[in-house]
Amino acid sequence: MSDEPLPDEHAPRRAGAPLRAESVTAGYGGDPVIRDITVAADPGQVVALVGANGSGKSTLLKSLTGIVRVTGGTVTVGDTDITRWAPEAVARAGVGYVPQVDDVFAPLTVRENLEMGGYLLRPARVAERVDHVVTVFPRLGQMLTRPAGKLSGGERKMLAMGRVLMLEPGVFLLDEPTANLAPAIARTLLAEHVRRLADSGAAVLIVEQRARAVLAIADFAYVLAGGEVRMSGTPARLAADPAFTESFLGGAAPRA
Amino acid sequence: MTAFLSSLGFGLVTASVLAIAATGFTLQFGVTDVLNLAYGAVMTAGAFVAYVLNAAGVSVWIGLVVAMIVCGAGSVLLNACVYAPFQRRGVSPITMVIVSLGMTLIIEFGVQAAAGGTSVSYSMSDGPSLRAGGLDLSVVQLVVIGLSLLVMAGTHVLLRYTRLGKAMRATAANKTLARNCGIRTGRVIAVTWAVTGALCGLAGVVFAMDAGSFGATSTDLFLVLILAAVFLGGPGQAYGAMLGAVIIGVATEVSAAYITPDYKYVIGFVILLVMLGVRPSGLLGARA
Ligand SMILES: Nc1ncnc2c1ncn2[C@@H]1O[C@H](COP(=O)(O)OP(=O)(O)OP(=O)(O)O)[C@@H](O)[C@H]1O
Ligand SMILES: [Mg+2]
Repeated sequence: MSDEPLPDEHAPRRAGAPLRAESVTAGYGGDPVIRDITVAADPGQVVALVGANGSGKSTLLKSLTGIVRVTGGTVTVGDTDITRWAPEAVARAGVGYVPQVDDVFAPLTVRENLEMGGYLLRPARVAERVDHVVTVFPRLGQMLTRPAGKLSGGERKMLAMGRVLMLEPGVFLLDEPTANLAPAIARTLLAEHVRRLADSGAAVLIVEQRARAVLAIADFAYVLAGGEVRMSGTPARLAADPAFTESFLGGAAPRA
Repeated sequence: MTAFLSSLGFGLVTASVLAIAATGFTLQFGVTDVLNLAYGAVMTAGAFVAYVLNAAGVSVWIGLVVAMIVCGAGSVLLNACVYAPFQRRGVSPITMVIVSLGMTLIIEFGVQAAAGGTSVSYSMSDGPSLRAGGLDLSVVQLVVIGLSLLVMAGTHVLLRYTRLGKAMRATAANKTLARNCGIRTGRVIAVTWAVTGALCGLAGVVFAMDAGSFGATSTDLFLVLILAAVFLGGPGQAYGAMLGAVIIGVATEVSAAYITPDYKYVIGFVILLVMLGVRPSGLLGARA
């Protein structure tokens, strides 16, 4: 593991590792849930995944992190083929993942959760990183000794984000990091934290229900439907497409 | 008063043996997700390992250390050869309980075949007995109490302050998330089998010392007390198991002095049932 001093406090450990999923097919043992999905995120980019409930967004992220079995296609980070790697090996390859649910260790304290996020770091470095994460999410600093199970929904999401920040991964996979957050806080999290991850060199693939808010910070977006990529393009291009705006940015009842 | 104090003395020793056993059991269950009912049988195997060495002229205390090593290694093998393959096939937790029940019989009959059907005992000196404030305990009993305190303190340090212990708790709480953090949970679980297996061996030998004489099935009833202590404290809760062990251990021996010894195991379980009625998740349960 590289221990070189980091040029910028937000710089990822493996800046410059593009994530590519090529024709990925995966599922839970029966019929595949996602089929032939090709998505990519380059360093410096925020790439959004949107789609209806049950369209396979979480399944895609789980297949990239080795939780769900990939039955076809390849997943690469930089030049490394990580297809079908175990989750612990994917983490070691510099991929940080915030799951949609069960995203913290409930009986462990906030500090212990962060320490587990930094499990792969040298012990001396862990305390440094905890201090850093606490400057990013000051609220966590006030509750370091509280069990994660006793946090509010929003505090818990901050902890989940803080936990992946510990390792400074080069690739972030975020599954609805703003769920349960008040709209204003959600926008701040996206605009400040998520955008900044990419600006400092990481590749970010983010699943979001708040289509409008995530498109405001994304460089590219994919729309999933029925386990397949239905549309893709830059936010500007999608916003100009009536088929997209009707389903995802519609005025009366936005899905977000 | 003397009857109470002498039963309290017995109770402290029983509680100490129980605390070692229950701490290992609850840690094993919490981290590995296997409710290993063969735990009692592994205790017996450990007690017999020490007996075989003891009968060959080795000090029982050296036998105790060897028993810990054998039971630690044996538990790793038990998991690797039996439980883990079943778990990988997606066998449900309740089915795993049945598998572990089967392993109980296999291990106990194995011990019986090797050691014969009669009860045996260690040849060791109990040392002078010490009196303090009406309590009357032998040196060996004091050593058992001391070992138990050491195990509890050691478990506390392991779980709170070491990287391995925290990884064990993380694995128990959310195995997938632990893997996402880069923790090799397969190794953490193997180490857990080794550590809890060693505790199981230690528990077996001190149980045999406390019981005086023992046979291949001597721990069957004791397993009931272990389960009572573990579930009283809340399954998977190390501190809960320690607390449960003290309550059950002291209550059974004191009740044995005042009611009748025949009911002591019953009393242990009645405490558990009452407790579960009041707090279904156990004394320290519900937190995970
Ligand atoms: N563990 C599982 N076992 C079997 N099928 C599953 C499992 N998890 C999800 N599915 C199925 O896979 C499909 C896609 O689910 P997924 O969780 O990927 O959707 P999603 O796009 O993330 O939805 P949401 O917006 O509600 O989070 C759904 O039909 C779901 O029922
Ligand atoms: Mg989802």
